[in-house]
Amino acid sequence: MKISFKGGVHPPENKHLCKGLKIKELPAPETAYFALQQSIGSPSEPVVKKGDSVKRGTCIARATGFISSNVHSSISGEVIDIKKHPHPLLGCARAVIVKSDGQDTPCGSFQESDFSAALFDKNKILKAVSDSGIVGLGGAAFPTHVKLNPPAEKPINTVIINGAECEPYLTSDHSLMLSSAEKIVKGAILITKAVNAKECVIAVEKNKPDAIDLIKKACEKYNNLKVIAFNVKYPQGAEKQLIFSVTAKEVPSGTLPMDVGVLVQNVGTANAVYEAVVMKKPLYERVVTLSGRGILNPCNWKVRIGTPFRNVINAVGLSGETVEKLIMGGPMMGLAQYTDEVPVIKGTSGILVLTKKEALPFKHLPCIRCGKCVEVCPMGLIPADLSKFVSGEKTDEAKEIGLLDCMECGSCNYICPSGTNLLQYIKLGKYELMRKKNA
Amino acid sequence: MKNTRTLIQETTKGIIERNPIFVLCLGLCPVLAVSNLVENAVYMGAAFTFVMFFSNITVSMVRKIIPEKVRIPCYIVIIASFVTVAGLLMQWFIPGVYKKMSLFINLIVVNCIVLGRAEFFASKNNVVRSAADAVGMGIGFTGALFIIAVIREISGFGTFYGIKITPEAFKPITSMILAPGAFLTIGFLIALFNYIKLKKGNISE
Amino acid sequence: MLRDKHLTVTVSPHIKTDLTTEKMMWTVITVLLPVAAAGVYFFGIHAGLVILVSIISAVLAESLCLKIMRRGTAVTDGSAFLTGLLLSLCLPPEIPLWMAALGSFFAIAVGKQAFGGLGYNIFNPALAGRAFLMLSFAKEMTTWKTLTRFPDSITAATPLNLLKEQGTDALMTVYGSMPHLYKKLFLGNVGGSIGETSAVLLLIGGCFLIARGIITWHIPVSYLATVAVISVFTGGISNVLFQLLAGGLMLGAFFMATDLVTTPITKSGQIIFGIGCGLITMLIRVRGGYPEGVCYSILLLNAVTPLIERFTKTRIFGTQKQ
Repeated sequence: MKISFKGGVHPPENKHLCKGLKIKELPAPETAYFALQQSIGSPSEPVVKKGDSVKRGTCIARATGFISSNVHSSISGEVIDIKKHPHPLLGCARAVIVKSDGQDTPCGSFQESDFSAALFDKNKILKAVSDSGIVGLGGAAFPTHVKLNPPAEKPINTVIINGAECEPYLTSDHSLMLSSAEKIVKGAILITKAVNAKECVIAVEKNKPDAIDLIKKACEKYNNLKVIAFNVKYPQGAEKQLIFSVTAKEVPSGTLPMDVGVLVQNVGTANAVYEAVVMKKPLYERVVTLSGRGILNPCNWKVRIGTPFRNVINAVGLSGETVEKLIMGGPMMGLAQYTDEVPVIKGTSGILVLTKKEALPFKHLPCIRCGKCVEVCPMGLIPADLSKFVSGEKTDEAKEIGLLDCMECGSCNYICPSGTNLLQYIKLGKYELMRKKNA
Repeated sequence: MKNTRTLIQETTKGIIERNPIFVLCLGLCPVLAVSNLVENAVYMGAAFTFVMFFSNITVSMVRKIIPEKVRIPCYIVIIASFVTVAGLLMQWFIPGVYKKMSLFINLIVVNCIVLGRAEFFASKNNVVRSAADAVGMGIGFTGALFIIAVIREISGFGTFYGIKITPEAFKPITSMILAPGAFLTIGFLIALFNYIKLKKGNISE
Repeated sequence: MLRDKHLTVTVSPHIKTDLTTEKMMWTVITVLLPVAAAGVYFFGIHAGLVILVSIISAVLAESLCLKIMRRGTAVTDGSAFLTGLLLSLCLPPEIPLWMAALGSFFAIAVGKQAFGGLGYNIFNPALAGRAFLMLSFAKEMTTWKTLTRFPDSITAATPLNLLKEQGTDALMTVYGSMPHLYKKLFLGNVGGSIGETSAVLLLIGGCFLIARGIITWHIPVSYLATVAVISVFTGGISNVLFQLLAGGLMLGAFFMATDLVTTPITKSGQIIFGIGCGLITMLIRVRGGYPEGVCYSILLLNAVTPLIERFTKTRIFGTQKQ
């Protein structure tokens, strides 16, 4: 099945900025900062204290509560402090700070071994995934072991491995598919096995033909796997839109993909699952796209979690053009940073340094009701009305016309000719609703 | 609330501060209907002031003996009497004008300004104050009607009090003597009033 | 070091399309310039003056209102320029200049700024201006110029006027044959308002705007289709082309009824809007007192736009339509 979802935009891709898709390895940093809040949910609790020595792969913080994940050290050295540090999502949050001893001693061999799906049963996979602290690597960073363990009354039929990478600039998933197609496919099989699904679909956008070929080749050996190539359209990689494109099922408003029997995982996550289950390697490094016209030589790096953005940027240097914004993630959904001291976390798919030419400050004019936002909204909302309701402090009315269905893809904001910050109002509205609910 | 205004202030408040048309926005129907000619406006204003003055005084005089429950019918009866008097007087002295305007003169009976002042002012204040209030309201109403009529007659007929004053090249703007013209004129004058008040910094009351 | 520089922090998205409101306005103006030029070519220099005066008056009115009301928008956004241009295109070529200026001033000051300025007006400002002029100067607004520059032009009345007042036979007597009439309507060599003569230029301009994504096809297509269908029922197949090409329909359907501010925001609403415009236009042409109904049909539908929007809510992904 392959159908197009409603709406969507075609922003300039700028994926060509990354010259060559070979992943380079960034050296381990002198000092690493491990934010305790790496994923959605409750922050993990440190199991080390000041002065402890850790190795590469040592678990330094344990999950607390149902939706939470473990954190592992990515370097070997000594814990020098546990205190507040700039955080790419939260502004400032508690982090374990480790000073490197320069040895980079691993805590295990992390060797590949023979692979056969029969070797692993559901519990073994779940335990490995949970122990290794794997979270969704597409950006939202939802703990993977929770997703892999749906309630018994909601069986999963289809697993979709998301390699769409519809965000402009980002090529980290693309380069990962080129370098580790085999691992991704094996990871996909493990995920399928863990949830006992009938079929597994690997979805890739058509602008990555080389990756599609490689994945197809890797899939040939297995019978319940298939690869689907989608036309390029943002946000093809959004969970609900991807599910609709693959299965023609709409995830009902207010429910989760498992309610229609679908599980979506990013290609990076599939790779991490394979490494965790087969190689027993915890999630302590990931591929990060370093791009934007403010960067001298944009490319993809394999970066240790906890490395400050500054180290990554300094590895290649700035191009010298006036820098306007530093962003974690893609230009459509990424978060603007106020300092380059923030560390790479598990959800960091890209670091963008945008120049003034790329990230023009928006000039705001009154809404002229052109309807472009309605046309592009993949969720069928009327963003212009939402933002008007919220700006008039009528969040309850906004909720009635679907405020909470918005997934914040930013298409409306991208297309708006009058420069209205629609998404800002929508996010504000959600925040106000949350505050009202808690009050 | 204690009334602290002097008699002079009681009179002048109806002209600008509480102008019945531009500020209170009351009694707009006759304004829309008769304000396309200055002549009509002047007569309407005179009749209105006459009725206003005498009904205010009368209501004030009998205010203590009118039962609370039937006060509105009483006011109407009082106002209607004076409207009839005004109508008969006009019929006697200026029959031509009365023929044209009799409908609108009679409608003063249910004019919201007259009724409103009876209810809100004359029934709570003494005779002298009520008379001062009526004079102020009458001047305010007539003045407002006059301004609107001047604008509408010049733009819509090209005349002032029936005398042609615009150059030949000017074609009268027909829409100004129709209802839309009245709404537009009143709207812009109210805006101007508010603008001036805003400038002076006293928007309250 | 990045740290030493000034980093801007905003909510996502961080990139934006380069199609801004200003660009849209100026593109529409550019598309209308050939239409205006054709008007000047057919009707002479006075038509050009009408266009010029109308634009200048609109821009002046806009800057005056913006100054008085201290609004943040600038005159350079082109919306006032466009309103002035559109208004002049639906005026008769012989109209006194001061009337054009007055209409233009009314369009901006009352039709647009009194409602709150750009984006808040209920009625299409240019059409509001035209309706005001029609109400005020009925005679001047319906006096059509004889196309003396062209020897084969014989009549001062517009084709729709002829049809209304004297019937099809008179139309045939004046224009000879149907194909001859169509050719004139298509190329623009007929009496009428400054901008509504040449159907071909309006069509090209409208298609260009649709291709550039500035307007969508929904309103023009549903509008024209409705007019076509009704004209089949009222006058047979031979009537269709005449009704489509004559009068201000092309100008109205592509440039007036597609005004973004005053039309429904949803696609289904836009189709209803177009059908409504078509119905009322034909009702006025066939049964009404005026020969042409484009202006009033669009204004009437402008008034019900909020109602149409209420009944054409989009379906939210993952929910059932009520």
